[in-house]
Amino acid sequence: MKLQSVVYILIMLFLAFVLEHLPLPEVISWFQPSWVILVITAVVLYAPSAFGLWVAVPVGLMLDVEQGSLLGLHVLLIALHVYLLQLLYRRMYLFNVLQQAGVIFLMVMAEQILHYWAVAMLREDATPVLLFEVALTTAFLWPWMYAIGYRSLRRLERG
Amino acid sequence: MPPFQGQRVALIAVFCLVLMWVDNEYQWLDPVRYAIGYTVAPAQKTAVVPLSVAEWLGENASLRRELLKENKILAARNLVLERKAQRMASLEAENMSLRELLSASDQVDDKVLVTSVTAVDPDPYTQQIIIDKGGSDGVFVGQPVLDAHGLLGQVIDVLPLSSRVLMIADSNHAVPVQVNRNGVRAIATGTGALNELELIYVPNTADIKVGDMLVSSGLGGRYPKGYPVATVTSIVNEPGESFASVKAEPTAKLDRSRHLLLVFTDQSGRVPPAQLWGTAE
Repeated sequence: MKLQSVVYILIMLFLAFVLEHLPLPEVISWFQPSWVILVITAVVLYAPSAFGLWVAVPVGLMLDVEQGSLLGLHVLLIALHVYLLQLLYRRMYLFNVLQQAGVIFLMVMAEQILHYWAVAMLREDATPVLLFEVALTTAFLWPWMYAIGYRSLRRLERG
Repeated sequence: MPPFQGQRVALIAVFCLVLMWVDNEYQWLDPVRYAIGYTVAPAQKTAVVPLSVAEWLGENASLRRELLKENKILAARNLVLERKAQRMASLEAENMSLRELLSASDQVDDKVLVTSVTAVDPDPYTQQIIIDKGGSDGVFVGQPVLDAHGLLGQVIDVLPLSSRVLMIADSNHAVPVQVNRNGVRAIATGTGALNELELIYVPNTADIKVGDMLVSSGLGGRYPKGYPVATVTSIVNEPGESFASVKAEPTAKLDRSRHLLLVFTDQSGRVPPAQLWGTAE
């Protein structure tokens, strides 16, 4: 992997964290997509052998601290996301962008359910999580992420 | 895919669940959280840049005429506040001497630190904000936060350069209050809506009226006594119900305040609520 690609990935991750932290109006905040999951999807599809489960530990812990959730919650979600991507990436290459977005919608929704289960197991007062909204916006933004993340990384590698 | 990937994911899942359980039950992981805070700080600082640029532009692009006008208004306000402060000094002295007579010395004026809001938690189920002072400024968990109009909330999570504040309107939050007029005690819990608190366990016969000012009673041992919390907006007495349903509006501008005050109250001789429960059992 080229140095440029690594730098590009780090910049994308940094921007994803900035976007996670961006103050938003109440109405939009219901539809806040999980930017970090989007970036990780593009990165794992780009180099499935290099970006394995280890990615989940640093990124997940940072996300936990950023969002003030229980330490380990996002590690679990990202690890599951990476695992599902590793199971599916060969098929994902054959899909068109819209089909990929559909798969990502289902994956994010499954992770949100897991999120809810994990919190409900540990705390009595588990707040409901946003199942559809987050998954919907994340899937909706995938075509753009596919272009600026995956395709650009491929071009960097070739050019 | 590498071999044993499924087993690895299962292992990570178990590890994460244990980690979450430890984080939920004990405080051992707080230093870890604090250290990771350094890595997130740059992104958090960057996220506020557009906001600060807009503020800076607004300040620099305003007209001289407007600035002069604002200056005049502020000077007038300052005069009014100065007058209040003069009376405050004598009242404070009087209060102290009376307290000495009762042999219950107490500090009336608390130390404060000014901070500004850098972000609002996007999670719509909680009412939390993030401020730009953290552990390196001496902020601690449980520290009361005020704005210019009243009590706003308390610090629940401290990172090196920022902290997370739980607002009084969060549905998981409650403040012990008393009516300023007559000292009737109650508990104000958040409802999840920024403009409404609810008083719980208020008897139908309690002397509370619409428009009453509720101040913190200091009984929980977390908030200092005497800061305005809310104004009563409605009281409904349901016949057959044991408690009256009392709604109040927070005096602090929860959705508008940009600059907040962190209060440093005297922590000596104060028992953290958790330990208090421990000894009671």
